[in-house]
Amino acid sequence: MSAERVSVKEKVLSANDRLAAENRERLAGQGIFSVNLISSPGSGKTTLLERTVDLLKGSLRLAVVAGDVQTHNDAERLLRHDIPVEAIETGGGCHLDARQVAKSLDALDVVNTDLLFIENVGNLVCPSSFDLGETLKVVLMSVTEGEDKPLKYPSAFRRARALVLTKVDLVPHLQFSVEEALDNARSINPDLEVFSTSCFTGDGLNVWAGWLADRVATARESAEGARS
Amino acid sequence: MHEMSLALEIRSICERELAKLPEERITALGVDVGAFSGVEVDTLQFCLEVLMSERFGGVRCEVVREPGAATCVSCGLEFKVERAPFECPECGMFARGVSGGQGMQLSYLEVE
Repeated sequence: MSAERVSVKEKVLSANDRLAAENRERLAGQGIFSVNLISSPGSGKTTLLERTVDLLKGSLRLAVVAGDVQTHNDAERLLRHDIPVEAIETGGGCHLDARQVAKSLDALDVVNTDLLFIENVGNLVCPSSFDLGETLKVVLMSVTEGEDKPLKYPSAFRRARALVLTKVDLVPHLQFSVEEALDNARSINPDLEVFSTSCFTGDGLNVWAGWLADRVATARESAEGARS
Repeated sequence: MHEMSLALEIRSICERELAKLPEERITALGVDVGAFSGVEVDTLQFCLEVLMSERFGGVRCEVVREPGAATCVSCGLEFKVERAPFECPECGMFARGVSGGQGMQLSYLEVE
């Protein structure tokens, strides 16, 4: 008996993709702009978030979901800035997933939030493959990480809307070429918005926070335009 | 990375399709994996072979990598891409964005 080929052509979506789509719909329905922060461990995600929260909390209602493998340290630091924070301790998981974020959204008062930050687990590999339902991804890299980082981890840089280069105050003490790093990043993703920042000196933070505020405002106007 | 859960998903789709063909036995399947889906072809192949043989006995699993398409920012040439960085074969400039090559689909089953 000969084999017969049956055409199927069905998309394979992991369970995570389905949940992420639900998260995305839920966040969009509530008018919440969400940002998934991705980087290697130690790039400065939490410190950047602390500074960003201080710059924006006067004009936007903020909330944070902070993930770590062990401890709630990042969440505790952010709680000191008087904004709602939900901690996720993954146990051994190397990335946040949509199910964990969905549970956090249940716990947070997302109805009264304009901008939600999701601080992912420090990891430049897996988080870029796990959609959480966010509006956009932001990738961080610090000046101590090597100019070829974007070439080594292209997925994270390609899927991000923006790159925040951190700790630029250290450049005089290093052999790091900012120009080469940014060229490499743009070779992977020519449309990447790039911000050079130092949380130590404050350089570049206003520009970064201003860009975020603009994105939130633009999204809001589009949504209102679509409704009318 | 999460190839096992994807392989489980593929097996579930096979079961649903086979439910429509009750007289038939599955002998092979074909999966197209986008080059930028973040899925390792070899790992997925391995996971599929394990899961399918567990349920159905010997099933030939063909996992095929699909390239994406990129457009050069300078000369506008469209070319197939498999891995970053996306250098235009014509002028050497970089390509903006990738279309396709991001997803995965169960393409076909073979039954007898």
